[in-house]
Amino acid sequence: MSDTHLSIENVTKSFGTVHALADVSLNVDRGSFVCLLGPSGCGKTTLLRIIAGFEAASAGSLTLDGKSITGQPAHHRGFGMVFQSLALFPHMTVAQNIAYGLKLRKAGRAEQSQRVEELLEVIELPNIADRPVSALSGGQRQRVAIARALAIRPSLFLLDEPLSALDAKLRENMQIELRRLQQKFGVTTILVTHDQAEAMMLADELVVMKDGRIRQTGKPTDVYRKPADRFVADFLGSANLVDARVGPGGKLVFLGAQTGHVAPFSENAKVSVAVRPEDVRLSLPGTSDTPVNSAIAAQVVFRRDLGAVSEWILSVGDVEIRARCPRNQNPDASVGDEVAVDIDFEDCQIYAG
Amino acid sequence: MKTALLPGRNGGSFTFAIRLLAVIGILVCALPVAIVTIMSFSASEFTGFPPQSFSFRWYQDVWALFTAADASSAQSVSEATLTSITVAVLVMIISTVVCVPLAYVLARSERRVREGMETLFTLPLVFPLVMLGIAFLLMAESLKLELGIWRIVIPHVALVLPFVLRNCLGAMSGIHVEVEEAAVSLGASPARAFWDVVIPMMKPGILAGLIFALIISFNEFTVTFFMYTIDISTLPIWMYSRTVSSLDPATLAISVVIILFDLVLILLVDRLIAGRANLF
Repeated sequence: MSDTHLSIENVTKSFGTVHALADVSLNVDRGSFVCLLGPSGCGKTTLLRIIAGFEAASAGSLTLDGKSITGQPAHHRGFGMVFQSLALFPHMTVAQNIAYGLKLRKAGRAEQSQRVEELLEVIELPNIADRPVSALSGGQRQRVAIARALAIRPSLFLLDEPLSALDAKLRENMQIELRRLQQKFGVTTILVTHDQAEAMMLADELVVMKDGRIRQTGKPTDVYRKPADRFVADFLGSANLVDARVGPGGKLVFLGAQTGHVAPFSENAKVSVAVRPEDVRLSLPGTSDTPVNSAIAAQVVFRRDLGAVSEWILSVGDVEIRARCPRNQNPDASVGDEVAVDIDFEDCQIYAG
Repeated sequence: MKTALLPGRNGGSFTFAIRLLAVIGILVCALPVAIVTIMSFSASEFTGFPPQSFSFRWYQDVWALFTAADASSAQSVSEATLTSITVAVLVMIISTVVCVPLAYVLARSERRVREGMETLFTLPLVFPLVMLGIAFLLMAESLKLELGIWRIVIPHVALVLPFVLRNCLGAMSGIHVEVEEAAVSLGASPARAFWDVVIPMMKPGILAGLIFALIISFNEFTVTFFMYTIDISTLPIWMYSRTVSSLDPATLAISVVIILFDLVLILLVDRLIAGRANLF
């Protein structure tokens, strides 16, 4: 049973003649973690700012708990927000930053300091209450910004690419931390990111956007396995998009080779096949583990070993295919050698055109 | 990497030239101050340099000028000083009250608007001061109003605005709009966010602007020379009147006091802005 917390209906936003958002509708379930994912300029930040109340939608409505909040000013919404620049108040201490929202709500001094202590405990940074914000490291600032937004017990927790300024290792730790905090507080969360790995890691519900439109919504694994269109397939997990056609009997003709896979398209239809790099299996031609039926001959153009996996670029005619193999499945081939490529089309999505 | 223009460890070819220029620069800046200071301690009536002997007599003269009820001059020095201070404080308050919201709006507006307005407010700087004085005098006379002290305050505000505005804009440039939005998201109304977040973050720039307004207004001569009347005059005008026929060494002593006062203020500005605002 789903319990809709925030409902976005037909929201459109135009800046002059530019359409930042075109007819966006989305339901956010209570307590869920939603990631708005897309390339820069796709409208994801604009959508978040409309939810926060910093921008007004040109058309459409927002409903929170069944009540319209479309025209409600931002400071009455009570949503906690973490900004890309973090936007901590540099003239206040850590405690004053966290307590600011409570002070505005006329909470007593004792209540304020108790809540500050509670949150500092949660973000595992006790004893920094009286420090100036400028004395904190990047990761600490991040946590304080999160604590400040959560201090007001927000009905929605909004994050605008909050981790983009951190280095890779710290970012990964913060992602785990963020997910843990969100589950602990059970707060409905919407996060904007352009980092597909981050979105996959954090989201209960993934919303992929492009050009002001939602292209696909769903669980991260569903979106990854069954991307709705070529854009999503490419953006999420960088699939190979290979032009192919449907041969006699609805069977796919892939890179000139007749396969046994039946595609749900009419005969002679032009299609494109999204093949995940990790779904490409490689072997040396003529060895016992070469599948006889569906193997396609390819030439190695590039190979690099990344430890756990290795990345390959193979050419079949003038088409290049990227492959990623686990360490123990690497064929013993180097640049210029011929390998056999095997793809299970059951794992692939096939799109018209 | 070595740069040819910069002096190297063993002294590059330009070291001598750079040092010479530095010495000339320092002398040009500091000599008038040094001479006035030395002369103010002279024991003689004659204003030749260097003085033959030293004393505090001119400082005692200044003290007497300020304390004694002066009937000899049309306007006493204490009255002129009081007018100067009143004008400077009014100018300081008005220019700040104008510039803080103005800087906020300009910093948050389109770049084209901001740059146009900045240029507009810089105009008094490029205007010849004598012409500016005449222009203000013409305006004041054509108004046919008893302006009182405001006939000096208003031109001073025009003169200090560029300095105060630049400082406030410099302070605003470091304040990301997201900081305000953060306050708003936590429940502050936009006005409250401005007061709680923007004003405290602008504080160094505002204070620097205040002090510049104070110093520039207090020392202003050219435009004031056109605007002063028998009733409303400032300390620089009074000092000029004492030196125009023959130099009264007491004005040198006053100058030293003013220099000390300005120096303290400028050191304060230096501490406040610490590279965060600019003086052009």
